Amino acid sequence: MGMNWHVVVDNMPILAKGALLTLELTAGAVAIGVIIGLFMALARLSKRKVVRAGAIAYIDFFRGTPLLVQIFLVYFGIPMLLKWQTMPDNYQYTAGILAMGLNSGAYIAEIFRAGIQSIDRGQTEAARSLGMTQAQALRYVILPQAFKRTIPPLGNEFIALLKDSSLLSIIAIQELFYTGKIIVGRTYQPLPMYLTVALYYLVMTQLIAQWVAYMERRLGKNDLG
Amino acid sequence: MILVKDLHKYFGKLEVLKGINCHIKEKEVVVVIGPSGSGKSTFLRCLNKLEEPTRGEITVDGIPLNSDVNVNAIRREVGMVFQRFNLFPHMTALENIILAPEVVRKSNKAEARKNGMELLAKVGLYDKADEYPDRLSGGQQQRVAIARALAMKPKIMLFDEATSALDPEMVGEVLSVMKDLAREGMTMVVVTHEMGFAREVGDRVIFMDEGIIMEEGKPNEVFENPKNPRTQAFLSKIL
Repeated sequence: MGMNWHVVVDNMPILAKGALLTLELTAGAVAIGVIIGLFMALARLSKRKVVRAGAIAYIDFFRGTPLLVQIFLVYFGIPMLLKWQTMPDNYQYTAGILAMGLNSGAYIAEIFRAGIQSIDRGQTEAARSLGMTQAQALRYVILPQAFKRTIPPLGNEFIALLKDSSLLSIIAIQELFYTGKIIVGRTYQPLPMYLTVALYYLVMTQLIAQWVAYMERRLGKNDLG
Repeated sequence: MILVKDLHKYFGKLEVLKGINCHIKEKEVVVVIGPSGSGKSTFLRCLNKLEEPTRGEITVDGIPLNSDVNVNAIRREVGMVFQRFNLFPHMTALENIILAPEVVRKSNKAEARKNGMELLAKVGLYDKADEYPDRLSGGQQQRVAIARALAMKPKIMLFDEATSALDPEMVGEVLSVMKDLAREGMTMVVVTHEMGFAREVGDRVIFMDEGIIMEEGKPNEVFENPKNPRTQAFLSKIL
């Protein structure tokens, strides 16, 4: 069977649509992940043992089990728990974004925790000695410095998440990889199609990497902190 | 102003403070000296609860520092200057100074800025308001840190080896700001190795060793005529 590069050109627009969905799914998961990650990082650093234990359990579970299994757990688990008779339209998108968000929340929690802990203790002491509460010290002094240090590892996490979103094809979300697979099924041209799919992923991950580098430069210009 | 009764502090099994009693009066400048590891910094840090005392009583400005009390209320009245400045690196000098007044005291921005600029002028750094800490020398950073503490209008200022991390040529500029404060009648507790400052500015010198107050008195008495052999040994080494 000869390689037919025509199918690539013909299917560019459909693949682009899939790529756009991949970006949207990743963005949604990132938003959920960052919020969960922040709260889990703070809980992980809490003085209260119960709170800390809860965060550790969460982080261990989502980092210690496969994302693929988590996707299924969310996708099939929620309807069972809520005793739905039928699945609502487009439910797979909600489940997919949620599963990825829950998963990345665990990784982002550890990234934030490392960032917060990397800030010199003297910063907290100075803030507290001025009468700030723990929450005020965090918000105005610690987190702004910690966020800056977490940008490179956060960038890595976003890139990993974007690539992992291909797993959502398993619950029939028509993201980039799923789209490619469908086209291969129709055209019998796996090599050119999957190469193109890979190229699409590469372009998107490169864009994230560039954006991260830009943010790092922009936030780094004022100080060495 | 500050009353300390039988203050003990353990770090794990190590007893760092072994029963400190002392009374610091309003407008008094108390200089705490002693060898490293003697517990002087820990003592100072107990006064605004950066360290939790293991046992004993501390009363600041009439308010007992027990666990029930709102620690933040005390800290608003007690300014602290650290050995390593601890300026907030992501903020300019002026932003460092006005953050706590805005956030804690809810001062309005214009007023906080005006007060902040006055404080910068007072420590001789009016023209450095918009500089970030990493663009300032150690001495300048420490002066900003003093202005930052003063912005909360504290009644008491604690200095924890404020000049120990400075290059020798910058010690003078920081000490002179501290002297001005003493002259204005600020109540001050100063942990330092600067004996010249202790002599010139101190109303009272406390010599600490091994977690207790070995000797205290007027600077001339302690420096000219130390009674405790430990004080004599310490002073003979550094004077």
